[in-house]
Amino acid sequence: MSVNKILAAALCLSVTWFTSCKPKGSGNAVGADAAAKTYVAPGKYDELYNFVSGGFSGQLSVYGIPSGRLLRVIPVFSADPEKGWGYSEETKPMLNTSHGYVPWDDLHHVEMSMTDGVADGKWVFVNGNNTPRLARIDLKTFRTAEIIELPNSAGNHSSPFGTENSEYIVAGTRFSVPPDGDKSDVPIKTYKENFKGHISFVSIDKNTGAMDLAFQLKTPGVNFDLARAGKGKSHDWFFFSCYNTEQANTLLEVNASKRDKDFIMAVNWKKAEEYVKAGKGVKQAVTYAHNTFDEATQTAKSEMKKEVTVLDVAAFPDLVYFIPCPKSPHGCDVDPTGEYIVGSGKLAALLPVFSYDKIQAAIAAKSFEPEKYAGVPVIKYEAALYGEVQKPGLGPLHTEFDGKGNAYTSFFVSSEVVKWNIKDLKVLDRQPTYYSVGHLMIPGGNTKKPYGKYLIAYNKITKDRYLPTGPELSQSAQLYDISGDKMQLILDYPTIGEPHYAQAVPAELIKDKQLKIFDINANKHPYKANGEAEAKVVRQGTTVHVYLTTIRSHLTPDNIEGVQLGDEVYFHVTNLEQDWDVPHGFAIKGANNSELLIMPGETTTLKWVPDRIGVFPIYCTDFCSALHQEMSGYVRVSPKGSNVPITFGLGDK
Amino acid sequence: MMNTKALPRISTIFILLAAVCLAISLFVPIWQIELNAPQYPEGLALQIWASKIAGDVDIINGLNHYIGMKTLHTKDFIEFTILPYIISAYVVLFLVVAWRRTKKLLNIACAAFILFGVVAMVDFWIWEYNYGHNLDPNAAIKVPGMAYQPPLIGFKQLLNFGAYSIPHIGGWLFVAAGILLLAAMVVARPASKPKLPKNIVAILTLIVVTALSSCGTKGPERVNLNKDACEYCRMTISDGRFAGEIITKKGRVHKFDDIACLLNFEKAQEQSSVKARYVSDFLKNDELIQAAPAWYVATSGIKSPMNGNVAAFASKEAAEAHAAQWKATVETWEQLAHKMNHPHDNPESHHH
Repeated sequence: MSVNKILAAALCLSVTWFTSCKPKGSGNAVGADAAAKTYVAPGKYDELYNFVSGGFSGQLSVYGIPSGRLLRVIPVFSADPEKGWGYSEETKPMLNTSHGYVPWDDLHHVEMSMTDGVADGKWVFVNGNNTPRLARIDLKTFRTAEIIELPNSAGNHSSPFGTENSEYIVAGTRFSVPPDGDKSDVPIKTYKENFKGHISFVSIDKNTGAMDLAFQLKTPGVNFDLARAGKGKSHDWFFFSCYNTEQANTLLEVNASKRDKDFIMAVNWKKAEEYVKAGKGVKQAVTYAHNTFDEATQTAKSEMKKEVTVLDVAAFPDLVYFIPCPKSPHGCDVDPTGEYIVGSGKLAALLPVFSYDKIQAAIAAKSFEPEKYAGVPVIKYEAALYGEVQKPGLGPLHTEFDGKGNAYTSFFVSSEVVKWNIKDLKVLDRQPTYYSVGHLMIPGGNTKKPYGKYLIAYNKITKDRYLPTGPELSQSAQLYDISGDKMQLILDYPTIGEPHYAQAVPAELIKDKQLKIFDINANKHPYKANGEAEAKVVRQGTTVHVYLTTIRSHLTPDNIEGVQLGDEVYFHVTNLEQDWDVPHGFAIKGANNSELLIMPGETTTLKWVPDRIGVFPIYCTDFCSALHQEMSGYVRVSPKGSNVPITFGLGDK
Repeated sequence: MMNTKALPRISTIFILLAAVCLAISLFVPIWQIELNAPQYPEGLALQIWASKIAGDVDIINGLNHYIGMKTLHTKDFIEFTILPYIISAYVVLFLVVAWRRTKKLLNIACAAFILFGVVAMVDFWIWEYNYGHNLDPNAAIKVPGMAYQPPLIGFKQLLNFGAYSIPHIGGWLFVAAGILLLAAMVVARPASKPKLPKNIVAILTLIVVTALSSCGTKGPERVNLNKDACEYCRMTISDGRFAGEIITKKGRVHKFDDIACLLNFEKAQEQSSVKARYVSDFLKNDELIQAAPAWYVATSGIKSPMNGNVAAFASKEAAEAHAAQWKATVETWEQLAHKMNHPHDNPESHHH
């Protein structure tokens, strides 16, 4: 029996050995003093504003850093019933496109307006990936002020990236497509002949922020992924990462992953500007929407534009160059000095760093590959290369900079952030992310002067990080302290879906410029009721206009009769308050619409088509005061042709 | 006296038990390959049964296409058709041995079973090799020189996935069956050869332990700079001159970026479970030496990652040379540990 005991013991021992040599999971590598570093006491402000793309929610979220508190969700491309965005008559035109009303988009990237290569806190630009659009958000009101559609484009992913003074915000097409127009009905397999890339250069008015599609570059039909403008000495240049240089049109996961090197496209945008000025561009008839929100009338208008100027890059030998970059580059990031361009080949096992000076020397010396690519010169890889970071990790995506000579790259497959030195290309530190990090962001990390204290990783997968919530889990952001030699994870918080790129600036740049109320005297809305005395109900045929006012704690008028079945009723609600943080809401039973949320001094319109006779309550939806529950009224709907006259009143008046 | 060619009752019981083990193994997983990656914190498992592949096969097949690995399908393996019959045949064979109770039959059964085990493992290895090496040239991710053959047994890192291959219940039942058979043979040996059982037991133990513990290594485990995290302060270990390591009695390995962290970690343990302690040789990059015989210089002139500011040296001469340079003294491990664990005993900081 002792034999068996020994054998059993041996077996047990070996099992123990087994389990002990299995590596442990990634665990939770949070820094010991994390709480102290991220705690923002009640009543205290955060250090930074963080503008984070909301991905397929179509919206832009705003977080406070370092607390990770969600401060606001700004509706941009998606209708938002909470704020009446896309539901009110005033905002519906903002979501208009050449395809009609498109109430959703996929918002990926964020670019703050810049002056001298540093964020100036005036506007945030964001892209709509699906129905190609660019939007400008005004940081005075935290509202979307302008949306411009992009012709000849599809999948507006390489967007929006700006030059050092926001001279231009560019938008590169992710999907090459046949140019818009009568000839765009072509067999898909004629991709190589008929499909083209287009890069839109949208100029920005330095005072008003107004966007204008200045010109487009027509490029070979590749997929543009991301881009960055040059800085300092490379100011005149723009760099775009390109994949699918195979020009595949089916099963891209295989067919667009074949070549060992794709390209970074270097564009001399100053030259392009000169060519356009000299009239070298071709005018192309297209249709695209340009939507603007007029602050005076508090109403958006949508205008259809009909023409764009296009430069075919193959026709101008000194405009555009391709630089080979391994393999399917995603991020394409320029360091604060403007000298180094980091290409992150998401399928590559190394990280190439290109030198602006070497690129210029290569162009001067014509160090080109013997064959052009679709008419565009290809600079020799070695001639443009500064060096390679060896074995940095798996699946590099994006790089930002701390302004101290270090770069930080996100690695999707190996779920980590890696810090490396730009000069000697040595890896200095690596920290896990939880899990599958996409973009990362250092406040000002894309600018000439990074703020450099924090790094935030935006993660796609959060299994086991938070309380589970059914099949869909939240995405997340993770905050690292990068002030020391080592990155230190100090906070982990869920985000609205899905965070792609983000930018952050010190709060001082924005917080004191906030508009608190709309001046009611400056309100030029055509249906404004200037005080309760102007509140009224007016019938025009089958259209009924209700000029309604709100002030704590009543609606004027609050009893309305004379509406008939078959009428279209417009409630034009003017919030008479002139006090900060006192919006009123407005809703009516059975409306196929959302609520309205009206800021002090603002007029907003809800359209209502009653579907039955009866009496319909109206009420304020935003808890405004102690008597908020009393802030309500009734609208009576009578049969069509009824002799109930239009009457309205409040109290005994 | 019994017929010396006949098996004793206890052997018969062992053989019957072996048959039961094998019979059960038909209905439970035999082998498991566990895969862990950052984005799969819960892990993925591939289970090999006698008649099928089970577990997260579909998810694993979905992932494999990135690197161009063939997808796994039960029907591609002839083994899963014939294996249940082979195992059943062995069950029948064992029953026959138990019924006939002859040593000769037992020897044959035992040899045949060992042969089966060896052939099965070789077959398993060949499949792993083929799957790991025959990659689609059109794969999206191609890492030069990288193959994805999972380990036969034990742990291996394959890109972002850690693959951990280990017998499942059925596999252990196989091992148990083998041991029962051998035990049946051992107890059936005539009493005139008393030495042999001990030897066999010793050899068996050795074989089992060595085979199964192949991934456990003696001595310190190398600190992977910029990859391993300090067990105490959770920061990545990046300076190879100041790292430390503790191996516990249970074989757990804890790594540290600073000797101060090592000592703090130990201090925080309720009871010491330390089997071995290692520190980095200050003069070499990332080379661990035993902590106790080493020599130490503690001075603020040294800047270590967590401000322990202690350098360790393998030789006293080297330590003294550096101590002179920093105007500090050379200490032993005990002196150092005492000083760092009881900072207030230091007369300079005593204010009572």
